[in-house]
Amino acid sequence: MGLVILLAVVVLAGAVLSVQAAINGRLGETVGVLRSSLLTFAVGALVTGLLIVFFEPAQAVSLLEVPKWQLTGALFGVVYMMVMVGAVPVVGTAVATVAVIVGQLGMGMLIDNFGWLGNPAIGLSSSRMLAMGCLAVALVFMYRSTRQAQ
Amino acid sequence: MQTLDEGMVAAPAKRSVLRLLLLPLVILAGMGLSVEAGLLGPLGEQVGHLWATLSIFGVGSAILFLLLLFAGPQKGPALTELPRWQLIGGFLGPIYVVVLTLATPHIGIAMTMIAILSGQVGKSVLIDHFGWFGATRKKVNGERWLALGLIVVALVLIARG
Repeated sequence: MGLVILLAVVVLAGAVLSVQAAINGRLGETVGVLRSSLLTFAVGALVTGLLIVFFEPAQAVSLLEVPKWQLTGALFGVVYMMVMVGAVPVVGTAVATVAVIVGQLGMGMLIDNFGWLGNPAIGLSSSRMLAMGCLAVALVFMYRSTRQAQ
Repeated sequence: MQTLDEGMVAAPAKRSVLRLLLLPLVILAGMGLSVEAGLLGPLGEQVGHLWATLSIFGVGSAILFLLLLFAGPQKGPALTELPRWQLIGGFLGPIYVVVLTLATPHIGIAMTMIAILSGQVGKSVLIDHFGWFGATRKKVNGERWLALGLIVVALVLIARG
C-alpha cells in the first residue's frame, strides 16, 4: 500500500512539474531562459532553505561531508537546459522530447539495473519491461493526436 | 527538468546534417536528467531530502548567476517589473525535486521517470477534458484517452513490481 501512495505522489509531482514548466515557459519568453531559470532556481533555493530552517531534523551527515561527485546533480540540469535551448529550434520540439525521454528511460534502466551511483540495484523484470512498452505506445498516441489537432 | 506538453507540439524542423549531429546530444542531455535523479536519491538518504534538494537549487542558482553575469545584458523587462504570479514556478520546483529524492530509492529511477511522465500526460488530458484551472474545455480525442489508459496500465505494472 505504501508503494501505491508513493506512486500517486510521484504522478502528482509530474503534474506539478508541467504546471511549473508552463509558467516558466511564459516567463522565459519575456525575460530570456537564463533569467527565468535563475529566478526559478533562486526562489527554489530560498524556499528549500526556509523549509530546512523550520522543519528539517538534524542529520548525521552534512552536505559538505559527502563525496563531492554526489553534489554534481545540478550541473546535469543546467547542461540539459542549455542543450535544449540550442537544439530545439533545429530538431523541433517533438523530436527533442522523444529523444530526451529515450535518454532518460535508457539511462534510468541502466542505473537501476547495475545500481550505479550508490542506488539499489533493481533487475529488469518482465513487468518493468511491459511498463516501458506501454509508455512507448502511449507516447506514440499522444504524438499522433497532437499532430491531428493542428 | 522537462515537460511533455510543449514537447508534443510538433514543430516543423529544418532538415540538415546538424539535426543528426544534435540528436545524440539531446539523448545525452536526457540521460543527464536520470543521472541527476540517480545522484539525488542516495544523497537524500544520507543528508536528508531537503538538504539534497538545496544542493540542486543552490548549486544551480550559483552556476546560472555566473552564466548570466558573463552572458552580458539581457533583453526584455526587468524581473522586478513582472507580474508576481509568474514567480510561483520557484515554489513548484522544490516539490518535484523532493519527490524525486523520496521516490527513487524505492521504485528506481526508470519507474520514477515513467510516473512523472504519467503525471504530465494525465494532467494535460484531464485539464483539457474538464477545463480545470480555468482552461478552455476541449474535446479530448480517443487516442489521448487510449494513451492515458496505457499509462495507467504502466503504473499498475510498476506498483505490482
